[in-house]
Amino acid sequence: MAITAAITTSTSKSVRAALTDSKRDVRGYLFAGVLLLCLLTALLVLTVLMWDVVASAIPVFQKRSTGFLTNDLASSPDKAGVSQGIWGSLVIAGFVIVLAFPIGIFAGVYLEEYAKSNRLTRFIELNIRNLAGVPSVVYGILGLVVFVQGLTWFTGGRSVIAAGITLAILVLPIIIITTAESVRAVPAGLREAGFGVGATQWEVTRDHVLPYAAPGILTGTMLAVARALGEAAPLLLIGAITGRLASLPGESIVDQLQGKFTAMPIVIYGWANEVNKPGKITGLTFEDLNAAAIVVLLAMVLLLNGAAILLRNRFEKRRQG
Amino acid sequence: MNKSTGRLVIASIAGLSLFAAACGDDEGAKEEATTTVEAVDTTTGADETTTTVEEVAGGEVFVTGSSTVEPIAVLVGELADANTGGALAVTVEGPGTGDGFKKFCAGEADVADASRHIKDEEAALCAEAGIDFIELEIGIDGLTVATSPNNDAVTCLDFPALYALIGPEAEGFTNWTDAQALATELGSTSEAFPDADLVITGPGPESGTYDSFIEIAFKKIAEGRGTDPKAARNDYTQSPNDNVIVEGIEGSDSSLGWVGFAFYEAEADRMKAIEIDKGDGCVAPTVDTIADGSYPLSRSLFMYVNAQKLAENPAIGAYVDLFLSEEGIAKVTEAGYVAIPADRLEASRTTWADATA
Repeated sequence: MAITAAITTSTSKSVRAALTDSKRDVRGYLFAGVLLLCLLTALLVLTVLMWDVVASAIPVFQKRSTGFLTNDLASSPDKAGVSQGIWGSLVIAGFVIVLAFPIGIFAGVYLEEYAKSNRLTRFIELNIRNLAGVPSVVYGILGLVVFVQGLTWFTGGRSVIAAGITLAILVLPIIIITTAESVRAVPAGLREAGFGVGATQWEVTRDHVLPYAAPGILTGTMLAVARALGEAAPLLLIGAITGRLASLPGESIVDQLQGKFTAMPIVIYGWANEVNKPGKITGLTFEDLNAAAIVVLLAMVLLLNGAAILLRNRFEKRRQG
Repeated sequence: MNKSTGRLVIASIAGLSLFAAACGDDEGAKEEATTTVEAVDTTTGADETTTTVEEVAGGEVFVTGSSTVEPIAVLVGELADANTGGALAVTVEGPGTGDGFKKFCAGEADVADASRHIKDEEAALCAEAGIDFIELEIGIDGLTVATSPNNDAVTCLDFPALYALIGPEAEGFTNWTDAQALATELGSTSEAFPDADLVITGPGPESGTYDSFIEIAFKKIAEGRGTDPKAARNDYTQSPNDNVIVEGIEGSDSSLGWVGFAFYEAEADRMKAIEIDKGDGCVAPTVDTIADGSYPLSRSLFMYVNAQKLAENPAIGAYVDLFLSEEGIAKVTEAGYVAIPADRLEASRTTWADATA
């Protein structure tokens, strides 16, 4: 029969064709076409955006070379650079990695693996989900009240420490939720097999659940870092600097962390407000510099996520093998 | 500026205390040399280094306040950096005049820049916190009312016309002609409004540019008519970002909006400035008409210094000294604004000298 013949060659298309009795699945093709169109639209918009940004950024890198990356904020587009923004954003990413990653992942594992599934657990989970949807400005107000005005002895006021902790808290719900989701997706058989050979819960979690869930967890951490690096609203409330950031020479690292700061999104925000008068020497405007700053920010996100992508690929291979 | 010496000469005579700044310049020169000739390079004002090393107290100064004044403060901060080899570290931000006073009166900032006088309620806030301040006028900005370069129908407006178009009673007017009756009633002598869409883009209430525009153009009329003397109509596109306002003005052939003079100057090919008539004929905004006060929509730019912090931190004094010096006050024009007349500058200097005596 046609069906068995089709199954022996068994591609999904041939099976479908055989089962639908070779009738042309017009609606199916139409649906596939619509899906493809949606994908292409999204890609087109992205490409146009990227092209627009990169095209304006290229002259900046050509004319300013590394000076753009190593210079501080300045009045003229001939001199201004993003070094202080890069430093601030890297420190913020550091706080997210050190604070939010462990706390978020462990909290997520606890919720799925250890916590009893009762009303309280479900209530907590629901609230974490809601927290992930809270606008970032609200976290900015939290940071302003608690870390800038409350814990001044530790943060030093409007500092990169306050910003780092605030953004770590901002991304915490994202990490908890993605961790919990990926742990939930681990097949129950894997755990049961582990318990069957006498492994403890800790051993099963460590050796089977976590490695299996790792790709999903890493995706969550990547999203978290990208979100933390891109947030501007909380930083504005905490008080990142837009015009000029100067510190005394020979300042200690603690003083630097507790002092005034800026970050890439704030640099971009500040430059968007500048007068677009071309620089006398390079002819660049702050608008051009902004495009270059966006490219730098994107590169930072990609670099910081590079490690996570490599790790994820490794775990995924192991899972398939 | 009488700086004809080359960068190398500057670096060699600047002395040890300027070592760091000189290095910075070399780096800049290297970077810039690839795209320009040396003659241009040495005349640029962006990174001028003085050949005299001033004995200036070191330390940190934090300046907040008006985003209009921010570029001037940044330029003076860079000058301080160059003059002291980094010992006078000036940090500048520009969240807006109102937000700046909030921080200033909470004791968070040493200096607040402002594009208008401090309001009574803001001064009360400072008094409550026990903060005394010194007010110094540092420059002039001309508010430029602008429309699209394609709009030939409008060249000059008087205050009643502006009130009729943008004032609180203009809410709901979507065509220039909607405002005609009100303008005529107020005694406007401007030419008849065109029959075209009225598309307004301007700053919002958080901005000093909004406050000063309303105060100068509307206050008297609003008081006479019993409307809110501190508000414009609410139904126009408001943005704190001047570049967005420029885009809005450029975006429609019958647009209307207002920006600071520095933004108009930089984007003069994208906008047409509307002349303003205050009864003495139509006056276009230029450096000269703003400086001599004949352009009606000009406002003073200020700097407020926290007196208590000044007593504790000599760096603040050094910064303001530098700001009011010839070299520092020249940055006002370099940033695209208009210098205050000599007598008013002298008044600022006297105020400052009395306060620090």
